[in-house]
Amino acid sequence: MSREKLKKLGIELPVIPTTSVGSLPKPPALVKARALRRRGALSSRELRRLEDEATVFWVRKQEELGIDVLVDGEQYRGDMVEYFAENMDGFKPGGLVRSYGNRFYRKPIISGKIRWRGPITVERWASAQKLTARPLKGMLTGPYTIMDWCFLEGYPDRRSATTELAGQLRREAAALVKAGAKIVQIDEPAISTRPEEVGWAFDALRAATEGLDAYFVMHCCYGEFHRIYDELRRLPVDNLDLEMSNSNLDLLALLRERPLGRDISVGIVDAHSRAVEDLAIVEGRLRRAVEAVGPERVWADPDCGLKTRTVEEAIGKLRVVQRAALEVRKSLGSSPAVK
Amino acid sequence: MKLLIANNSGYPRIGDAPEEQELRRATDAWEDKRKSDGELEDARDAVARKVIAEQLEAGVDLPTDGQVRWHDPVSHLLRRSRGVELGGLIRLYDTNFYYRRPLVKGAVRHREPVLLEEFRFAQEASAKPVKVALTGPYTLAALSLDRHYGSRRGLAMRLAAFVAAEVEALAEAGCGLIQLDEPEILRPSADWDIVAEATSAAACRRGSAKIALAASWGDAAPLYEKMQKLDVDILGLDLTYSPGLPERLKAGSDKLLALGVVDGRNTRLEDPRRTADAVGRILARYKKPFAILMPSCSLEFVPRSHARRKLALLGSVRARLA
Repeated sequence: MSREKLKKLGIELPVIPTTSVGSLPKPPALVKARALRRRGALSSRELRRLEDEATVFWVRKQEELGIDVLVDGEQYRGDMVEYFAENMDGFKPGGLVRSYGNRFYRKPIISGKIRWRGPITVERWASAQKLTARPLKGMLTGPYTIMDWCFLEGYPDRRSATTELAGQLRREAAALVKAGAKIVQIDEPAISTRPEEVGWAFDALRAATEGLDAYFVMHCCYGEFHRIYDELRRLPVDNLDLEMSNSNLDLLALLRERPLGRDISVGIVDAHSRAVEDLAIVEGRLRRAVEAVGPERVWADPDCGLKTRTVEEAIGKLRVVQRAALEVRKSLGSSPAVK
Repeated sequence: MKLLIANNSGYPRIGDAPEEQELRRATDAWEDKRKSDGELEDARDAVARKVIAEQLEAGVDLPTDGQVRWHDPVSHLLRRSRGVELGGLIRLYDTNFYYRRPLVKGAVRHREPVLLEEFRFAQEASAKPVKVALTGPYTLAALSLDRHYGSRRGLAMRLAAFVAAEVEALAEAGCGLIQLDEPEILRPSADWDIVAEATSAAACRRGSAKIALAASWGDAAPLYEKMQKLDVDILGLDLTYSPGLPERLKAGSDKLLALGVVDGRNTRLEDPRRTADAVGRILARYKKPFAILMPSCSLEFVPRSHARRKLALLGSVRARLA
């Protein structure tokens, strides 16, 4: 069904399409430029020039590696929640909190009425899509994750803030689709964290996407998905993108026993380790996923965004994903595109 | 009845001001091999002293060392034990915080105290008694991947012995209050026979130290009677997640209570008057010599400036109840 939808949208992909989850590392010059800009020591125009340069680099690099569905690499974004909080009304900046090890992020505060001011990601998506004939995903952070990863002061409860966010993010998704985005990924890494809230969290996702003419992917990671597995069946998206290598492909048994009836993007390289895994390991992971889910349902990608890796590490990880997909495709004897 | 103010467990190791980010910079430099192990340890010591001083300035009677040396509350305890390897990152319950999941591949052995030196250092830096919080055996077992014991009971009891060794070392060194963090017991799947057995085993070598069992991030109201039967001295309760709990608490408590009345997960500051009223109602029939007011969980989930304010707010609540 999902493949048919892609075809209707005019997208032909090979068996086991490859993609990446969203963020890619910023080159050191861009990291430095962002710090200078924060101190007012660099013009916004110069920063934009460097961001565009880095975007071109990553689009070309993904094409060169043979990746099927591209991303713009989010060279202009910092944190995935902070970026949307900065560009919508109703948020104010928060302080630094730790996420793991020595990693910290600025957790925004939902302080008032949330409002979409106008397109946030559309112009960046359109300019990156112009660089390539391959499909390039529109990338949004989902309503539940934005709510959950902000401090909540301006709404009485979690559900009302999430519902409001869904309505506002729908306007962004609609703007992306109107601009020509055929595949839109919504990142909801927080969605598994409170099983008792999954019902209305999915309602919010539905409200943000229903009726929009695009193939929707939901990315989630580092959670306990077996706890909400049965709920995932009513997930209102075409493709569920899961981190799997970090969790030893634990979910494959469930996916085999109780198929979800949608495409599954399988994370086959660890986004948080510096070492690039051997082809044999990555290929083995992909083969296990294909056996469990079926080749017509599987996409291959890294576990998560690669922004915490170096440029060289990220390229290495994407390369091994692509090579693993090619090897598995070869053994399946597949033609270049799905018929 | 005396009201004491305690920190719950963690405290932010960095703040927003550049001078509050020494440890972040030092750790970055250590990771890039620009600082030695000794230099990193010096930076950790300096930050531990600062966070203890901040807690004392905020009016806390029972500070912690903020767990500023820890990667996370799970892997820190088990990182050097035999039989355990650290695996990939996984989200800690419903937080946006990640821990390294222990992979239990062999018999877990307690080699040497993990927290003893941290406690000694903190106690030297504090004019008031230092409390130590560590993850309890049931939660440690639930958050580990067991490839050796084959049963939750087997792993939990082995980890209870591990925790008991930590408790014993801390108690002998003079730590008077040791908190076992057990969020897992609030999960619907918790096996209370194992919870009770493991808690008792973990606490059995406490000497004269008081053992608190703290359960955050879930509704403790339906489990309150079961918690009262556990072999601990103090119950630490997260009132931000348990709307029905104050009603249960009005009936009194056989155990000392540590009430998590300010939300350690959100920046919204509680109203001191309303909070004081709520605490007053809860403690109306409480007959113990003291109770503790504390944040609902580790303060590492809020920015440092808010952590300071949350602790100071507890002082305002106490003043209203005086």
